[in-house]
Order: sequence, then structure tokens, then C-alpha cells
Amino acid sequence: MDLTHKLTLAALLLLCLTTAAMLGRHLLTLNRAPGETAAWESDSRPTLERLVARNGKIFSEVADLLKKKQYRAGFERLREIKRLHPDNPHTLVFRARLQYGSGLLAAALHSYRLAVDRQPDYADNNTPLYIGDEIMDLISEGRGKLRRELQLKPGDGRISMALEDLSYLQRRIAGGCE
Amino acid sequence: MNKSVKFPSVDTALLAGTSLGAGAVFLTLLGNPVNSGICISCFLENLAGALRLHGSPRMSYIRPELIGFLLGSFFMAHRGRRFRVTGGSSPLLRFFLGFFMIVGCAVFIGCPIKLILRLAAGDLTAVAALFGLVFGIWLGTRYIRAGVALDRAKNLPQPNGYILPLLSLLLLAFLLLNPGFLQQGSSGPAARHAPILVSLAVGLLIGALAQHSGFCITGGIRNLLLVNEKTLFYGVVATLISALMVSLLSGHFHFGLDAQPASHLSHGWSFLAMTLVGLAAVLVDGCPFRQVIRAGQGDVDAGITCFGMLTGGAFAVGWLMRSTSAGPTFNGKIGVLAGLIFCLTVVLALRPPTGSGPGNRRN
Repeated sequence: MDLTHKLTLAALLLLCLTTAAMLGRHLLTLNRAPGETAAWESDSRPTLERLVARNGKIFSEVADLLKKKQYRAGFERLREIKRLHPDNPHTLVFRARLQYGSGLLAAALHSYRLAVDRQPDYADNNTPLYIGDEIMDLISEGRGKLRRELQLKPGDGRISMALEDLSYLQRRIAGGCE
Repeated sequence: MNKSVKFPSVDTALLAGTSLGAGAVFLTLLGNPVNSGICISCFLENLAGALRLHGSPRMSYIRPELIGFLLGSFFMAHRGRRFRVTGGSSPLLRFFLGFFMIVGCAVFIGCPIKLILRLAAGDLTAVAALFGLVFGIWLGTRYIRAGVALDRAKNLPQPNGYILPLLSLLLLAFLLLNPGFLQQGSSGPAARHAPILVSLAVGLLIGALAQHSGFCITGGIRNLLLVNEKTLFYGVVATLISALMVSLLSGHFHFGLDAQPASHLSHGWSFLAMTLVGLAAVLVDGCPFRQVIRAGQGDVDAGITCFGMLTGGAFAVGWLMRSTSAGPTFNGKIGVLAGLIFCLTVVLALRPPTGSGPGNRRN
């Protein structure tokens, strides 16, 4: 082994050790710095739990009105909330619940679909936002009803669309890769 | 097709196929996404996300199985003295064929292995894709018969073959140390995974067996169509049967078109997407899974294809060139069409001049 080869090996070893040491230090500091991991904490469980709690407060009045079956008042309150929180997909969930309560099955299915599109965690039973069971109850109840309606009105595009929404929601709640 | 290739024994192909099918469903039972116990395209999309090559945290996780496949193949190739460092065959063509293979997979929502797993779980929406895959492979065999083939690889210096195994070790370190510059989702498919060590062990086992047997989903069908050779095809059938058995025993079998996880009802696009995958796989000599295994045994060309596949995974998610449960996106449809155009252009460009036989290859 000539001198150049030996020097190259020594330099390589030195570089490896330096890099490993730097990486080790960097990793240690990164794990301690809360700001650094913020980007991938955005959908973490504690964040989602905080979101659920926040939504609970924001929508408490609508939830009460829903419980009392005061759907018209519920829709009005929801409109106000939407003005204050235009980006909150939970308005779609409450809209769906109110629509279902008012007997608007197709509209409720579509609102649930929009909600799941905006916030996929609604269909993910691994997260606190999951509302798949609630949607599946609606699907079980709605499927037969919509198919019967389609037999009576075969050309009705709204019913076909509602069945499509239903089928989409079923596939989303079934899970798998996205 | 490489004429120097020896066909593996039926026993090893059956063993590899059975381990793959059963192992995939087993991983699902332990936490991997439903019907996606093993899916190279999903895994690559997850890897691309973890490396921040796309911005969806829900699809960001370094799948230990992928590392296991590559290292299992590497160790088995070394043990069996089959570690041969070769490459230099149309690298950019392979890169883009790999890219489009994953775009095709993303539009169907799954690689050929996942296609088998979906069928084994009773998902009838995968039937159109199966026809598409077989059609694409059949098309590829027609071109092979007409003399179309990428140029031959040559021996390369040894360090070339160690790059990807070393990179997979680095990924393993990333997975275990969880450094802040990576992205990892805590909801969606990214959060659904079996325990790391189990995934790694299953990956190592399957990777080693696949290397030993030459297992390949598209290769099995291609050999059957091209030379009526059934060894690898038995492996494919073994994958289907073992996955079906475990699905039935574990209660994961759900027959029908409705409520199938990670599926859509655009059967025409599923057919076309898997036609693309089948054709591209014949041109690069192996399905996405086989490319990973070959990359582990020193095949630098397969390594280039893997980089193309990883890039395809990043673009499929980042540019929405894929399908959702609602069906393929516009970008996804264009991606499939562009892929088919690319494959057919490659085929035309590589076609030997009229009058010359299949043996007249550009070297």
C-alpha cells in the first residue's frame, strides 16, 4: 500500500468519523427542538386531539340544536360559524348531520364526501377525528332506500350521484393505501 | 429476454410465492394498510414522502420491507455467488420506464403484487387490471419476438453494486433514528405499519427467497406466454393461493365490487394503467418488485430503474398522477397515456431494421 493510498484511507476514515459525529449531534439537537419537527407534527395524534377539543367548543351550540332536532336554527348557527371559520371542514360534518336529520339523505352523503375529501382523517379509524361508524350507519340505512328510489325513478341523476357518493364513502372507510 | 438465464426450480419459486402471499397478508394483520401488506409502488410513494420528495405526510414512511427486500437479495446473492455487478444498458430509458411503471401502478392503486393481493382478498375491481397486466405483458412478448430489446449490460466495477445496499442501510438508520429532516405521517397509510423488526425480517426473508428463485410476477406471466415455461408462473399462482388462504382464515376476505379498500370503479383506466405496467415491465425485464431484488444482487440497471420508480412515486403523489377512491385524476390519466406513448416510442426506436432477426441486437 503506497503513501497516497494510506493517506486517502486516513482521510476517508476522518471524514466518516466527522460526518457521523456531526450527524449524531445534529440528531440530538433536532429531537429536542420543538420547532424543527413542527412540519411533520401537524397531523400528529396530540394535534388532532386538540383539534377535536377545539371543534367541540366551536360547534357545541350546533350540537345542542341538533340534539333538540331544531335543524333550521342549527343551519343558521352553522352559517355563522362558517363565516368565522371558513376553512374548518367540521362545518361539513355538521351540515351532513343536520341534512340527515332534515331528511335530506343525498345531500348528507355529499356533505360527508366533501368532509372526507377535505380532511381524510374522518375516514381513518387510527385518528381521533374518525367518524366512519357514523357514516356507515347512514350508508347502511341509505343504500336500500336509494336503490328503491332509483328503481322508481331510473333517470334521476341526483339518486345516481348519491349512490356514487355512498360507494365512494364505503371505499374510503374500508381503508387501504390512498 | 436474456438467453443465458437459467429457469429456477419449481420448489424455490413456490416457496418464494407462498412466502410473499402469506407474508403480505400477515403484515396486514400486524398493521400494514389493508390489501397493501406488500406493494412496491405504495412503499416507494411512502419512501419518496419520507425523503420529502412530495409533500403529503399521510404517504410518508420508510417501509422496512423495502430495505429488507434489497438487503435480503444482497445477502442471498453473495451467499450463492450470484452477486454480479453489471449495468450500462440504456440507463435513461430504464429510468423513465421505471417512472411510468409507478405512474401506472398509482392509477390502478397498486403494483402487480398488490393486484394479486387485492384479487386474493376478493376485490373484483382488480379483475380489469389483471386483464390489463396480462395484455401488456403479451404485447411485450410480441415485441420481444420481433427483436425489440434494450442493449446488453456489461460488467462494471464492483463499487457500483454496493451503492444501493449501502443506501438501504442508511435508510434503515434513518428509520431507527428518526431524524428531523425526514417526514413521517402519523395518520393515513403512513401510520399503518407492522412492527419495524417484523417488517424487516419478513422483507429479508422474501428478498432472499425472491433472489434465489428469480421470482417475478410479470416475469412468470411473460415466460408462460413467450416460451411456455411455467416455473415462475407457479410462483405467481402460489402467491395468489397463499394470500387467499390467509385472507380467508383471518376473515379479511370480502368478495365483490363494493367497499373495497384502496380501489375505484374506473375499470377502463385500471386496464390501461396495468397494460402500461405490464409492457414497461417486459421492456425492463421485471416487475417493480423484481427490479428491487435485482438491484440488490448487483444489477446497476435495475438500480437506475429503482431510482426512476422512486421519482415516479414522488411525482404520482406530488403531481396527483394517480387515483383516489373516486377514480383516476386527470393528471393520472395523462400520465398513463404519456407512459404508453413513451413505451411504444421506445419499442419503435429499438425495433431492428426490417429483414434482420431477433438476434440482431445493438450492443
